[in-house]
Amino acid sequence: MRRLLSSPTGIAGCLLLLLVFVAALFGPWIAPYDPQEFHVTARLQGPGPEFLLGTDQYGRDLLSRLLNGAPATVLFGLGATALGVGAGSVIGVIAGVAGGRVDSVIMRVLDGLLAMPELLFTLLIVSFLGGGTGQAMLAVAVTFTPGMARIARGATLSVRTREYVLAAIARGESRAWIVGREVLPNALGPIIVEATIRVSFAIMIGATLGFLGLGAQPPSTEWGLMVSEARQYMFRNPWCVIVPGLAIAITAMGFNLFGDALRDAFDPRRTR
Amino acid sequence: MADRQDRPVLDVAGYSMAYRTEEGRYDALRDITLRIRRGETHALVGESGSGKSTLAWAIMRYLAPNAEDTGGAILVSGEDMLGASKRDLDRLRGRKVAMVFQDPSSALNPTLRMGEQITEVLMRHRGMSRAQALAEAEAALTRTGIRRPAELMKRFPHEASGGEKQRVVIATAFACEPDLILFDEPTTALDILTAKQILELFVTLKAETGVAALYISHDLGLVSRIADTVSVIYKGEIVESGPAAEVLTAPRHAYTRRLLAALPRPDERIAVPAPAAQPPLLSVDTVSVRYGAPGWLTRKLDPSAKAHYGARDVSLDIRPGELLGVVGESGSGKSTIARAATGLAEFEGAIRFGGRDFTSRRAFDRAYRREVQIVFQHPDASLNPRETIGRILARPLRLYGLVPRGQVEARVRELLEMVLLPAEYASRHPHQLSGGEKQRVAIARAFAAEPKLVICDEVTAALDVSVQAAVARLLVDLQARSGAACLFITHDLNLVRQLAHRIAVMQHGALVDAFDVADAGAPGRHPYTRALLDAVPVPQPLRDPA
Repeated sequence: MRRLLSSPTGIAGCLLLLLVFVAALFGPWIAPYDPQEFHVTARLQGPGPEFLLGTDQYGRDLLSRLLNGAPATVLFGLGATALGVGAGSVIGVIAGVAGGRVDSVIMRVLDGLLAMPELLFTLLIVSFLGGGTGQAMLAVAVTFTPGMARIARGATLSVRTREYVLAAIARGESRAWIVGREVLPNALGPIIVEATIRVSFAIMIGATLGFLGLGAQPPSTEWGLMVSEARQYMFRNPWCVIVPGLAIAITAMGFNLFGDALRDAFDPRRTR
Repeated sequence: MADRQDRPVLDVAGYSMAYRTEEGRYDALRDITLRIRRGETHALVGESGSGKSTLAWAIMRYLAPNAEDTGGAILVSGEDMLGASKRDLDRLRGRKVAMVFQDPSSALNPTLRMGEQITEVLMRHRGMSRAQALAEAEAALTRTGIRRPAELMKRFPHEASGGEKQRVVIATAFACEPDLILFDEPTTALDILTAKQILELFVTLKAETGVAALYISHDLGLVSRIADTVSVIYKGEIVESGPAAEVLTAPRHAYTRRLLAALPRPDERIAVPAPAAQPPLLSVDTVSVRYGAPGWLTRKLDPSAKAHYGARDVSLDIRPGELLGVVGESGSGKSTIARAATGLAEFEGAIRFGGRDFTSRRAFDRAYRREVQIVFQHPDASLNPRETIGRILARPLRLYGLVPRGQVEARVRELLEMVLLPAEYASRHPHQLSGGEKQRVAIARAFAAEPKLVICDEVTAALDVSVQAAVARLLVDLQARSGAACLFITHDLNLVRQLAHRIAVMQHGALVDAFDVADAGAPGRHPYTRALLDAVPVPQPLRDPA
């Protein structure tokens, strides 16, 4: 942890994530207003003393809506990534370690899936499963699986021919030991880094789905949905698009920077 | 005019350089003074991390952004390199100073034909037209002994051999007729025989052009053949310099003495006494290893598709307690045999061990794997970076159930002591150890399994000379204590003649010669064996300084 905080990237990433997680954990309690309460007299206001970040087209307080939407948005990103990364790395490591025909078949199938644009693939799955947060999460996870499998396989392959793995094979170690103790810990770096970066993608895809009306449904305070709903009033009060947009950007950047710092900290050769 | 003639081509006076790092300033070079006159070859000798390449980069003015000059001066043909502007440097590089790198395959741009890479330099630095440059490039390549230069110029780097590529790099360096050429280990990445040819080329070209050369090397034996003067660099400081004949035969400084003493000399045998003639412990019987066998579909589509043989019909015997040396150039199949015998590569033929026959790598059982252990070349890659040394050493003990659970830790301490490492290393990670220490751990891990045969695949190749000698001695010592046999794969002929009882020579995947070490010079040796032996000079004995 101290290593993580010794680089500027790490500090910036951790601070942003701290902000996001405080919002996600305590958001609903620290919100100044009820997120669904209409303030008819104060619609589409800019930031001011009364409404810190302004209000939307119904006069709802943006800060309160933002804080209320934080848990849903962050959980969506984490959940989708965890599912996708888990499935993807298992498939990728299996392909990388098995090699030969198993590898070829698995990877060709995944290549086929990768050929489809990520968002289109997600939309396809959502339209198949039906709208809603749970379905959207599953769809994002499925979309992530082929890409993660490819990265996990690449990391596995680069480790598999190292001499310490050869030494383990020559020693007659079991396959489970070779994968679990020799290959996986050393291939984990790229997978974790990719995963943290993917969290930001997941949040953005989730927001896009919300924006398209396929993810969370109104009156949810999911951030993508907020941008979507406010779109028509963008020119009268840009704040109602900027605020949730910025929140998404901050979360994505936080995970990204954190991921970079994590990779550096994870590398035992970097410490002296 | 006389003044110009006398002036050294390279004049480094009291030069110091430091790197700024997170931990503070690190002095990479301290008070370096070096003079090279026209026609002189000055060798700069040192181990890895001594700063020898850093000095070359400092002369070329091509340093990392965190490097800073902390004093002294560097003059090339009287021009101040330290104060030179970017434009001056563009003019000086190529015309006044050129550099030849260690690895020709990474020194050439893989996407450009080799002809273009030479003509580019000629057009830029000598202002030639394209046609002139082409003609000059061809002439330059002819001088490096390439037979059909026009044809070679049309090829891409991957279509040429390592020797050809290094000739192109050398031709490029000489093409602009610079006053000074820096050679940074130009033969280290090449095979023994090719290296010898490149070295001969270097001597001829230098005699023809009279260029001054700074020749950087870790190889003292090689330096003795080409250098007029030698400087020995240690931890960023020149500890000794003088005429080559003096420094290399009667060194004054303790470090130089240590370096020279570490050179393997075939007549100073350090092998265990030769074991009595016994039936072989391991027999490799007409073993072949194929790589990249085509699948049935590939064969149907392209009948000419064939597997590539890493080794073909190789037969070898190793007797108990013996050290068998296997030598050959890279790609000769010597490591392939090690891979087959340890179950890392599928093979055809039979491997016989302790009265049992194995005809496939799947047949190797745990007992065989315990008794036949392998140590790899790269100490940095052969230990899992996430495990501690203690866990690495404990693994074979636990895997084969060699000691009761409670005594594992004590045995690990014993193993560390056995390879002369402090017991507290057990809690360290591999990256906290030096290359030589890591190799000791790898050797300890192999001997932890109490094997009957240890296969050493180029275990000294990645180590510095002085560390190399220590590791070789350690290996022989362990062999004497445990009675294990050893298959020692290497390309260092002097070393293997010091260690081995018998030597097997491989070329192009086949075994071409096998003999007792005493018969190395005997008539009737295979021509390839003789070529290998002739390519490596035997170091001269040391004298006391006069």
